[in-house]
Amino acid sequence: MNRDGVLGLVLLGVAVAYYAAASAIPPSDLADAVGPGGLPRAYAVVLGALALGLLARGRGHQDAGPHVSRRLLLRVAGLLGLGAVYVLLLPWAGYPLSIAGLIIGTAYYQGGRLDRRVVAVGALGAVVLWLVFVQVLGIDHPVGAWVERLLGEPPLGEGL
Amino acid sequence: MIGSMLGILPAAFGGVAWGILGGALPGISPSITMALLLPFTYGMDPAQAIVLLAATYVGAEYGGSIPAILIRTPGTNAAAATIADGYAMKQQGRAGEALGISLYSGFVGGLFGLIVLVLLTERLSEVALAFTPPAYFALGVLGLSVIASLSRESLIKGLAAGVLGLMVATVGTDPVTGASRFTFDAVDLLSGIPPILVMVGVFAVAELFEQSGEPGWEQATERPRIRFPSPAMWKRIALPQAIGSVIGTFEGIVPGSGGTVSSFLAYNEARRWSRHQEEFGHGSPEGVAAPEAANNTVACTALIPMLSLGIPGSNSAAVLLGGFLLHGLIPGPLLFVQHRDIVESLYVGLFAANIAMVVVGYLMMTPAIWLVGRPKPYLMAFIYALVVSGVYAIEGSLFQVGVVLAFGLLGYAMRYFRMPVLPLVLGVVLGFMVESNYRRALVLSSGDHLTFVREPLAAGLLAVAALFLVGSLVRHARERTVGPTAGGGREGGAGGVGGVGGAGGSAT
Repeated sequence: MNRDGVLGLVLLGVAVAYYAAASAIPPSDLADAVGPGGLPRAYAVVLGALALGLLARGRGHQDAGPHVSRRLLLRVAGLLGLGAVYVLLLPWAGYPLSIAGLIIGTAYYQGGRLDRRVVAVGALGAVVLWLVFVQVLGIDHPVGAWVERLLGEPPLGEGL
Repeated sequence: MIGSMLGILPAAFGGVAWGILGGALPGISPSITMALLLPFTYGMDPAQAIVLLAATYVGAEYGGSIPAILIRTPGTNAAAATIADGYAMKQQGRAGEALGISLYSGFVGGLFGLIVLVLLTERLSEVALAFTPPAYFALGVLGLSVIASLSRESLIKGLAAGVLGLMVATVGTDPVTGASRFTFDAVDLLSGIPPILVMVGVFAVAELFEQSGEPGWEQATERPRIRFPSPAMWKRIALPQAIGSVIGTFEGIVPGSGGTVSSFLAYNEARRWSRHQEEFGHGSPEGVAAPEAANNTVACTALIPMLSLGIPGSNSAAVLLGGFLLHGLIPGPLLFVQHRDIVESLYVGLFAANIAMVVVGYLMMTPAIWLVGRPKPYLMAFIYALVVSGVYAIEGSLFQVGVVLAFGLLGYAMRYFRMPVLPLVLGVVLGFMVESNYRRALVLSSGDHLTFVREPLAAGLLAVAALFLVGSLVRHARERTVGPTAGGGREGGAGGVGGVGGAGGSAT
């Protein structure tokens, strides 16, 4: 099975799951002739049909597409992981530390060296972004639980 | 009025500057440059925000030619046609002249496109008041039919991407009954998934993922000063500029074509009509003027279907549409009635942006070359940080940052499976309009589906959509049986330039 076949299988799975979720939408007294699940079910059927078309096209054919190396997949997974860690870390570590960590981690994952220069770039980038977002644009970012503990509880909702 | 007009001038200049920097970075397309800026526009005045984004588009189209001329790497896809002669001119020590021709031709093309934009959108907007729910539904269907022309490689994949977009648009509260759909009890999903998150994810984050596998780009070895063309040169490049402007007009209006196709077509046509055909590929100024005029014309004319019908025909137009939606403005027929001031500000902003391009383009040359010279890992890291910070700035929601990352992964997976991304965005943007107006029309007609063909405007739009779809199906079928004939001409255009580029390269 080639790449089209795999895509067909994935989309078929999405179509089935989506159809099931659409069918589970509870009926409403306010419902019109189509209802909240009407069009979603139609979309799922169309996607299912297209997925079957891709499956039929991909069966028995070799893949002629570009090869994606394991190294590249690891890099993409690493970048995604860094983004996820940033999301999880932000409320605890605060914006400056988290964003510096994201810059350093991403630069390293993109092929940079983990040396003093990359740390300096991360720190400088964090300062620039903090100035732009927090000081210039006035957008509150989490100050970080550890800072709150250090300085005592700030008023509710007050960020950096 | 004068106050608000003065307010948009900084936006026009700032947008052009940002666009030039983004366009100059290889791999960072105009749409990505705009998507990076999108979250920042949230707290801005709507007119300033729209002008900022549109000016970014204008600046990025010029910025793409800087690395194309200096390091033989196009900053944007549309600048690929400029490489052949731009880089050859650089090798002859005429880089400053090539950059000046690129800047001046972009200015001419941009102004021409702006005139066409103003004239055509005004005409289309006159039908605004005739729109009813069936007509809006038909307009949405017409927009979705564009998917067929956006799916050059595989119609099935394009349609599947469009349906996925429609599915994303159903997440949240049902527009008629108020029931929750596909929210899985998550409060953050009750108001749906904003198109801006989808766009930033599939354009900007997916490109970062893609770039992680690409090698670093070449460094510029010289820092030339821009030299604007002499009166004699003005005369010589007038015809290729006119060719580029006319081709850019048609290609900009037709959804799915965009700046890249128009640049290559303009290059080939300029060569065909030139008195100095032998110079093409060896440093012809005409070979720089035609594609640069074309892609800057497209930066304005691509907005015609988006502004007048709410149908984005290119990635950049889709991001600009996201900017409208972010400020509660719905592009389409009623925009001209309800927010005419915004449309007029956009016209003025685009005019200012084209003027600004000449001034800022001259001043930004050194910073742009400096930026291209930075290590790629640092630049990518900073852009990633900018994306997550910008998305958080919209509503202060970490959930939304997570959604953007998820759509980044989806966008990367779609690239891996060679699925076009723009149909997904079209589905997300048009999904609500299609569903809400379809069901509203049925409620008003007591469930009578004939209401969609009884109303002349709706019937006309559905007929055009059907024609568009059938035409694309026929083209796909013909390409599968006898090879890409129509597309072959276009590909041939690209190949022609590539071949010439090779000649230019061999001149070293």
